[in-house]
Amino acid sequence: MFHWLEKHPFFFAVAVFVTIAFAGLIEILPNFAEASRPVIGTKPYSTLELAGRHVYIKNSCNACHSQLVRPFKSETDRYGHYSLSGEYAYDRPFLWGSKRTGPDLMRVGNYRTTDWHENHMKDPAAVVPGSIMPAYGWLFKNSADIDTAYAEQVTVNKVFAVPYNAEIPMADGSKSTVKLAATLDEAHADALEEAKVIAADMKDQDVKDAVAAGNIPEIVALIAYLNSLK
Amino acid sequence: MNKTVLAAIIVVIAMLGFTYVAVGGAGGMGGEGDWVNKLAVLGAVVLVIVTAFVVTKYVRQMQFDRASGKLADENWDGIGEYKNELPFGWAIIFLGLVIWAIWYFLVGYPVNAYSQIGEYNEEVAAHDAKFEAQYANMDDATLKEMGGSIFIVQCAPCHGLQADGMDGKAANLNHRIAEASVKHVIQNGSNNQLLGMEMPMPDRNGLMNANTGALITDAEIDSVAKYVAGGMKGTAGADVFAGVCAACHGPDGKGMDMVAPNIAEFNPTLIANVLKHGKKGVIGQMPAFNNLTDVQVKALGAYVTGLSK
Repeated sequence: MFHWLEKHPFFFAVAVFVTIAFAGLIEILPNFAEASRPVIGTKPYSTLELAGRHVYIKNSCNACHSQLVRPFKSETDRYGHYSLSGEYAYDRPFLWGSKRTGPDLMRVGNYRTTDWHENHMKDPAAVVPGSIMPAYGWLFKNSADIDTAYAEQVTVNKVFAVPYNAEIPMADGSKSTVKLAATLDEAHADALEEAKVIAADMKDQDVKDAVAAGNIPEIVALIAYLNSLK
Repeated sequence: MNKTVLAAIIVVIAMLGFTYVAVGGAGGMGGEGDWVNKLAVLGAVVLVIVTAFVVTKYVRQMQFDRASGKLADENWDGIGEYKNELPFGWAIIFLGLVIWAIWYFLVGYPVNAYSQIGEYNEEVAAHDAKFEAQYANMDDATLKEMGGSIFIVQCAPCHGLQADGMDGKAANLNHRIAEASVKHVIQNGSNNQLLGMEMPMPDRNGLMNANTGALITDAEIDSVAKYVAGGMKGTAGADVFAGVCAACHGPDGKGMDMVAPNIAEFNPTLIANVLKHGKKGVIGQMPAFNNLTDVQVKALGAYVTGLSK
């Protein structure tokens, strides 16, 4: 066979490619698979958090905010532990961003709370003097898209085996479970329960009224998502 | 004269001329140029001459040299091989590479391999060592200065640069406690681990006024809230404080260890506990700041305590 290959340059080239590609695969893939496995404590997003993630993407937050803490002292001092690839296991797509016009948000849930986000989205300059971030007033009026979020949950659960309704080990040794609702109505009800907890910490009366009436404004979903970034 | 040598001389003269035109006017060749310029020009001249010399040598070698030496006995389809010695320099380099390869396989790659995280760890260790050496024995002024700069980065986004809480978006740290906070705590109780442990304060249904023998009333809450927020001055509300609050918080409001926190003034322990556990009150929730080092917590304690004095 090698004799035959020596006389056929095209197939020889193909054989060389296949050999080297195979060597590359067995060297690269196992490491890659190991590094991209979820880190202990990384949970899939709940319905409301995922809806908030959609709001985040829809408003292009990732154009100005990165979600990637690099291993430099200056960054870990400000943002917390540097990012690990496994922490993005359930991010589809990942939102690393390419430019920091605003600060990194990888672990914003550790050092900002619901009421701060509320003040900040309404009027960023009132909380951070000199901020060039625009106000996001419409988030308080538009409703979050729970249907799409639930659809995504079902899809990633079926296609990528994202572990919903399964025990996930946490950093402190306990187990945690993220629920995937059985029906769309149940997903709406669960998201509303989650939204009520957030809205209780908010001051905007319209938002509180909307949640009480069974409607979830985008800001509530977005805050749920931001609080989940840890 | 050989044509190649002639061409080399012409090229050298042309390039020297070009160099002179390019940098001579800038003082390089003249008397007024500094020694760096002169050195650069000298380097350029040497480069041109050496290049011309080497190129000429090898071109001539290709033109006129013929292989020489003793042929090996074997002959492959008319292609022979000379029996030349391996050049000494090559042999040295080959042996050197063998030694280097042994070092690299056993020590260089496994032990001294570069890693980004390794560099980060070294950076952090170096910084920590320098920090500890520099701030081992801080005086009060340095401690407060450090606290102030940490405050700007970590605390000012909510509490504001003036620590005034920016119109009620966070607690005003220039006063120990606000009237609204006192009322909220009395009405709803509180369990913020200000003492560093779980020690819940009851809500209004568990607060008895020792003077009247009844539960605290709305009017009493108003007056005692004003009294506490006003810094325990005056007489209005003082009796309610003595009857309701003093049992745990002490007659002067300075708290008791393991019982109740200081509500008369800030102190570094209180601030350290808030930073460790976070806090939830009438304004909203403050997150815990466990990323701060002990020295930073101490510095913030000194700074924030100093704000209300």
